[in-house]
Amino acid sequence: MSTSPEIANSVILSVEMFIVLSPILLLSFGIVLSLLLIAWRRSQKMIALFTQFILLTTLLLTLHLLSGDLLVGSGVPITTLLNVDRFSYLSLVLICFSALAVVSLSRSVLKMEVEVHDEYYLLILLVALGAGILVVSDHFASLFLGFELLSISLVGLVGYFREHKHAVETGFKYLILSAAASSFMLLGIAFIYSQTGNLSFAVSSNVMPWSAQPLQVFNSVGILLLFSGIAFKLSLAPFHFWSPDVYQGSPTPITLLMATVSKVAMFTVLIKCCFSQNYFNNESFIEIITLVAILSMLVGNVLALKQQNIKRLMAYSSIAHFGYLLIVLTVSSMQNTEFAWQGALFYLSAYLLANIAIFTVLLISEKNKGDMSGDRSIDINDWHGMFWKNRLAATLVVFSILALAGIPLTMGFVGKFYLLNQAVIFESWWLISGLVIGSGIGLAYYLPLIFTLFKDEKTLEIQEPVGTRVYVVTTGKQLFMLTLLISSLVFGIFPDLVSQFIYR
Amino acid sequence: MMLTFVIFGLLFCGSLAWYTDNKSFLGVKFQARWVALVAVIAFALVFILSVHLSPLRFLTLQMITQVPWINSLNINYTLALDHLSITLIILTFFLAVICILVSWDEIKEKSGFYYFNLLATFVGIIGVFSAVDMFLFFFFWEVMLLPMTAIIAIWGHENRYFAAIKFFIFTQVSSLLMLVAIIAMAYIHQQQVGDLSFFYQDWLSLDLNNDVAQYLMLGFFIAFAVKLPSVPLHSWLPDAHTQAPTAGSVLLAGVLLKTGAYGLIRFVIQLFPQASDNFAPIAVSLGVVSILYGAKMAFAQTDFKRLVAYSSISHMGFVMLALFSFNEIAYQGVIVTIVAHGLSSAALFSLAGMIYQRIHSRDLSDMGGFWQSAPRMGGFGLAFAAAAFGLPGLANFVGEFLSLVGAYQVFPVMVILAAFGLIGSAIYGMVLFQKTFQGHSIKAVQDLSFRELIVSSSLLMLLVILGLYPNFVLQYFRGVIL
Repeated sequence: MSTSPEIANSVILSVEMFIVLSPILLLSFGIVLSLLLIAWRRSQKMIALFTQFILLTTLLLTLHLLSGDLLVGSGVPITTLLNVDRFSYLSLVLICFSALAVVSLSRSVLKMEVEVHDEYYLLILLVALGAGILVVSDHFASLFLGFELLSISLVGLVGYFREHKHAVETGFKYLILSAAASSFMLLGIAFIYSQTGNLSFAVSSNVMPWSAQPLQVFNSVGILLLFSGIAFKLSLAPFHFWSPDVYQGSPTPITLLMATVSKVAMFTVLIKCCFSQNYFNNESFIEIITLVAILSMLVGNVLALKQQNIKRLMAYSSIAHFGYLLIVLTVSSMQNTEFAWQGALFYLSAYLLANIAIFTVLLISEKNKGDMSGDRSIDINDWHGMFWKNRLAATLVVFSILALAGIPLTMGFVGKFYLLNQAVIFESWWLISGLVIGSGIGLAYYLPLIFTLFKDEKTLEIQEPVGTRVYVVTTGKQLFMLTLLISSLVFGIFPDLVSQFIYR
Repeated sequence: MMLTFVIFGLLFCGSLAWYTDNKSFLGVKFQARWVALVAVIAFALVFILSVHLSPLRFLTLQMITQVPWINSLNINYTLALDHLSITLIILTFFLAVICILVSWDEIKEKSGFYYFNLLATFVGIIGVFSAVDMFLFFFFWEVMLLPMTAIIAIWGHENRYFAAIKFFIFTQVSSLLMLVAIIAMAYIHQQQVGDLSFFYQDWLSLDLNNDVAQYLMLGFFIAFAVKLPSVPLHSWLPDAHTQAPTAGSVLLAGVLLKTGAYGLIRFVIQLFPQASDNFAPIAVSLGVVSILYGAKMAFAQTDFKRLVAYSSISHMGFVMLALFSFNEIAYQGVIVTIVAHGLSSAALFSLAGMIYQRIHSRDLSDMGGFWQSAPRMGGFGLAFAAAAFGLPGLANFVGEFLSLVGAYQVFPVMVILAAFGLIGSAIYGMVLFQKTFQGHSIKAVQDLSFRELIVSSSLLMLLVILGLYPNFVLQYFRGVIL
């Protein structure tokens, strides 16, 4: 038996591959080390610092590798399972950054409980690793591996504070629906395999142009099931029913983790899968994408209209945002994928910054409210008149909401501009109308939220005891908020700073 | 370069006004209103001087500044001026001073932030009138919207949130349509010339397919028709005007509506001449409907500001009618109407603000007989109402007359219908004046203060000058054919 040279090459891990994969390896190594650390001494401060350190080093390492010219062209394949390219690295940067933010913001939540929370940090690292595997995967097996690692760790985190009111409900909801989604996905992968005989992203559709197959129905159904599994994670309509409840019931940092890390990773792998399989040539796939996109834009925005709870509102708004983002999947040809990636990553970074900012302020006000009255859920009215009390936090929220609404001066506008460009090139007028109408409806809940921040104490109908709305903010948080504010402004006015980075 | 200095300087002074409000430095107590007033007057002088001393002739668009901005999409920071934009910018500066003066005593709370928003709106408006890179234009178009919405939502009257949201959503949705059209134009440029371009003057040379041009024109047209506003896209305007604080209404009616007219002139008609020509019958009908509908609705109002707001719809109908007649005389009528309406509606809204400060009501049934206690206010009120219904000798008459004369050569039936609007405006103008100043004296009100006299008389003076000697403005628009 002589092995073909390709297989021989792909099995050996060359130095180049090792370097390219090093951020993922570092993350896994960090997990092992933190397990050892827990075994050695249980200290919350230590594990928190260590987790932050691991994520920060991964982030810096990724950035360093990105600035080199290791990753030119279509990326470096590592066995058949993984393929690392610039875009996976960029997503990894986003993932590490949001995980870092989550870890840093978790401290105030964990401080209120008595136990030592090693598992919490460990699970966050596992989520980051799962997301990391997803963004570099080039094979359905690695996709599934990353997907499950991400979901199972998230289930643990969602119900983490087991004595909280909604913890069990939330955990169960997420567990069952997530398991259902992954089984759908698995079935879809099996169908695709039955047609192509290969599980790699890159080969299957090139080897066997599925449209020429007599049994192409299997392939189509397979793709549909796979997409619905991913759509569940992205909470696209009509797979969105879990998201508001889970968003509301989870601890706030974990909600942020779900809104950012999990969604960025799933979206990246969706783009990767679609582009390398040339799904965009398939008209019925594009139709389904268009349908789901428009449905998500409308459902997300319409259902957000009457929400009072900020976390639920963010859940619905995120449904709409991923509806907008689906526009990038409708590219007309391989040449346009570069631009699509650019738009997607820009939009994702804008979405991420805005979410981190809003959740930071949310955590601060939750802590204040919790200290005062024990009830921690934040409604829109709890932000009443924040602008006149804590200008920095309120300005940050205003800018983030404007970014989500896609108003100029913010990154969100440039992101939306990219998406519109993409849609105009592809001439998908339905998607454009969906985007326009969706943004219009969106304003009807974004603006009242902004106005609430500016309202006077006097206009408040229900008088609350004095002192409930004093915002105590530590210097660290203040610096963090200032950085977020300045970066979102600067990137919004000079988007070249970001897109140069993506383009190179 | 001077224009950039003016734009950023105003923004900086806005922040300065916010920061220094009610604080003492070196023994001087700063007040935001003084900072804002000084800044606006100073930058107005800088602008006028720099335009006056400039060696450029502004008959056609003259590029002032071009700096690369977003290289990956070939977007530049490009400003240009011609007589049209210069006229409108000077009008903006003049009304800016009026705005600050009418807010002088009205805005007591959060005044620092208020003047910041006011100045930021001026910045946006000046940007809109001078940007020729379409991305930049859109940028300013939205930037002018944000602080305006804040002014309505924070310092407005009882129903302000609803009005602000309605205003914002109307403008935002329509401007997204324009954004789609802008992007489509940029890609058409890429197909025809080879590179992406958002530069207005590059687009003028594009050769557009008729169908495509029609749709793209509609994208622009809707955005500007909302701002103008034209029936059926007008419903945000009565709410926004009524709920805004006095300066907000002055600004909205005086300049913000003019950005719609400016957009129609600069972009819709010049970029898509053929498509606009095809569209003209519809646009003209919309204009006539606006004239009649606005006049009728104005007559039925009991709220002082709402009445003036509907009269604005009526007056802007003349602009639409005249613009789409593609006639030199009509075009001159448009220019005069724009400026005259800017002045007269600003005057009426300031008057509404002055009355509101005295009796805390905008309801016409709470007014009456003010002439007895405040004859000077009554005199100005009569003059402004007369200006609004187009009394000869005042600027609005010239504008409407030229518009109708010009448009008659192209759409005679429409113009005859539109002329009925003039009768309507006389009726609602007289209703407004009678209910406010004549009849039983319900309350005694104070007469105009010195500051209010300055506001009213400067507005009236300009209305009279323009009415008697319209060449003052028209000399710059001779021989311009659309």
